[in-house]
Amino acid sequence: MTLRRTLTIAALLTPGLGLILVMVGSVFYIAVAQSFGYYNLSGDSAFSLDHWRDVLGSKQFGRSLGYSAYIAIISALGSIAIAYPLAIWMRKPFRGSLVVGSLLKAPLFVPGLVAAFLFLNVVAYHGVLNQFLMWTGLTDAPIRFQNDRNGFGVIFLQLWKNMPLALLLLTGAVQGISDEVVDAARDLGAGPLARFRKVIAPLTVQAMQAALIIIFIGAAGDFAFQVTAGPTNVQSMAQYMVFLKTSFGRWNQAAVVGVSLMGLALVGALGLAGLARLTLRGLKW
Amino acid sequence: MLRKLLVAATAIGLASGAQAQDQNDLLSKSWDDIVAQAKDEGSVNWFVWYFQPRYRELAEAFTAEYGIEVMIPEGTHEGNIDKVLAETGRESGDVDLLAMGADRIELFKQENLVGPLNDVLPNAATMTTEVGGFDGQGYGWAYWGNQTGIAYDPEAIDEADLPQSVEDFAAYWDANPGRFGFNYENGGSGPSFFTHVARNLTDADFTSGKVTEEKMDALQPAWDFFLDHTDGYIITASNTDSLIRLSNREFALVPAWEDHLFKLQGEKEVSDRIKFYIPEFGMTGGGNINVIPANAPHPAAALVFLNWVSSPETQTRFNEVFGAAPMNSAADDSHALIPNDMRARAVSSPANPFNTELRQAFIEHVALER
Repeated sequence: MTLRRTLTIAALLTPGLGLILVMVGSVFYIAVAQSFGYYNLSGDSAFSLDHWRDVLGSKQFGRSLGYSAYIAIISALGSIAIAYPLAIWMRKPFRGSLVVGSLLKAPLFVPGLVAAFLFLNVVAYHGVLNQFLMWTGLTDAPIRFQNDRNGFGVIFLQLWKNMPLALLLLTGAVQGISDEVVDAARDLGAGPLARFRKVIAPLTVQAMQAALIIIFIGAAGDFAFQVTAGPTNVQSMAQYMVFLKTSFGRWNQAAVVGVSLMGLALVGALGLAGLARLTLRGLKW
Repeated sequence: MLRKLLVAATAIGLASGAQAQDQNDLLSKSWDDIVAQAKDEGSVNWFVWYFQPRYRELAEAFTAEYGIEVMIPEGTHEGNIDKVLAETGRESGDVDLLAMGADRIELFKQENLVGPLNDVLPNAATMTTEVGGFDGQGYGWAYWGNQTGIAYDPEAIDEADLPQSVEDFAAYWDANPGRFGFNYENGGSGPSFFTHVARNLTDADFTSGKVTEEKMDALQPAWDFFLDHTDGYIITASNTDSLIRLSNREFALVPAWEDHLFKLQGEKEVSDRIKFYIPEFGMTGGGNINVIPANAPHPAAALVFLNWVSSPETQTRFNEVFGAAPMNSAADDSHALIPNDMRARAVSSPANPFNTELRQAFIEHVALER
C-alpha cells in the first residue's frame, strides 16, 4: 500500500474515528488524569497516588467492586440462559410468534428508571405482592422485599431489561442455522440437550459473546436500578462514584472509581466472552 | 510579560480600592437614601439554588413595595458560590445577593463582601447573623432556618412514649424491631441522627473540625451501639424514602428535615397525620444566609432586598409557605411543625473535615458491616 493510499484511507476514516478518539478519548484521558491528582477542582493539581491509595484501601471500594461484578455476571449469564430456550422456540415461525416476540421485546422500550419505580410499587411493604401474599394467607404480616440485601431485586430488573436484548441477538443467530444441520444431528442420535450443546451453541457463539459483552458492561455500570431497588448495605461502582462526588466533593477519588469501573467492564466483558468461546469451541479461534 | 502582569495587578488593586470606597459611601448613607438609590438601580438579582419558582412569586411583594424588579436565576448551590468566588477580581460582578448554607461563610474573605451591616439594616435588631454554629459577623444574614428531628406516626406511637435519649432509642428498637428507618446517603437527616448519637455516646470532641486517628478511634462505642442493635432499624435510600415509608406505615419513626416534611405534606406526598419533634439529646439545626459581594452591580437594591427577605413579614410568610423556621425574632412561627421552645434542643453539626470523616466512618464501620 502506498503512502498516498494510506493517507487517503486515514483521511476518509477521520470523521468517524476522529469523533470517537476526541470525544471518548478526551473523557477517558481526563478521568485517568483526575484519578492521579490532575484536574483537581478543590485543591492543587499535581501528580499523586494518594487518591488511588485511599480508594483502594477502603472497605467500601472492595465491596462495591465485588457487588458490581456479581450483578453483572449474574445478569449477563442469566439473560443468556433465559433467552436461548426462547430463541430456539421461536426459531421457526408459528401462528402468533410475531406477537410473542414483540411482547418479549417490549421491556426494551421501557426506561430503566420507570421499570425500577414500577417494581418498587410491586414489592413495597404495602405493595401489590405483600397484599397478595396476605390475602392468600401465605403470610400474616408484610415482608420487607424492598432493597433486599442480596440484590435480587436489581438482578430481576436487569434480567427483565436485558433478556430481550439477548433474545434479539440470539434469535437471528439461531434462525441462521439451517434445518439440514439440526436434522443431521437428530439423525445421528443427538437429543435436545446434545443438539444445543454440540450444534446450536457453538454455531451461535458470536451472538452469545456480543450479548454477554453488552449486558455485562451495562449491568456493571448500573446506577438507576441500584439507587432505586438495590441494597442499602453496599453500593454499586457507579453509585459509589457519584456518592464520593456529591456527598464529599471528592472528584479525584470519584475518578479512581470511574477508571476502575471501566477496567471492570473491559476485563469482565472480555473474560466472559472468552470463557464462552473457550467452553463451546475449545481452543479453535 | 512582567509589565502586563504589573498592569493587571495594579488594575485589580485599583478596582478593589474603588470597591471599598463605593462600599463605604453606600454604608454611610441613611436608609432612605439607600432605598432611593436602590430604586434608581431598578433591579436586583438573587442567586438562590432551590424553590426558585416559589421565590419568584413571593418576591412580587417586594417589587410591589419598592418598584424594584427581582430576578432569580436557575443555578446550583456550588455553581452559584463558585461563580461569586471566580468573579472576585472583577470590578463589577454579576451577582447582587448570594444565598448559601451558613457553613459556607468560611469560603469568603470579609473584604470581598459588603458589611458589616448591623448599623445599616433597619431590621438588623431582630435579624440574626449567627446560625447553626456559624457566624456571618454582620456580613452574612440568615433568611432560612431548617432543623432535623424525628418525624413520627402518632397512630403508631404515643407522644408520651417518644424516644428522647440514645438509650430510649435502643429500648424502642429492642421492643419494636424494624419500625425505625434512616438514611446515610441522599440527604442529611439520617447523618444528623447518627452523628448526634455518636456525640452522646463518645468522648470525641465534636466542637472541633480537627481529625486525628485517636479521635476517629474514640467513635468506636457509637459504631458498636449501632451494630449491637442492627435488627432494630432499617437503612433507607434517602430522606424522601424514609418519609414516604413512614407515611405508608412501614415505619413509626424516621429522622427528617422539618422544612422537607412540611413541603411533602403540602404536596400531599406525605400524610398530614405525621408529626415532628426534636429529641432531647439534640439534632442538627442550621440555616441559610445571604451575602452581598463587594462587586455587586446593584448594591443598594441588594441591601434593601436582604433587609426585606429577613424582615418579620417575609419570614412569617416563609414559615407559612415553606415551614421554614423564621430567622427573625419578631416573626410569627405558628405554622412551624414544632413549638419554639423545642428549638433549644437544636445543636450544630460538627465542623469539617471531621463531619465528613465521621460520615465516611459510619459507612465503613456500620453500613457495610450489618
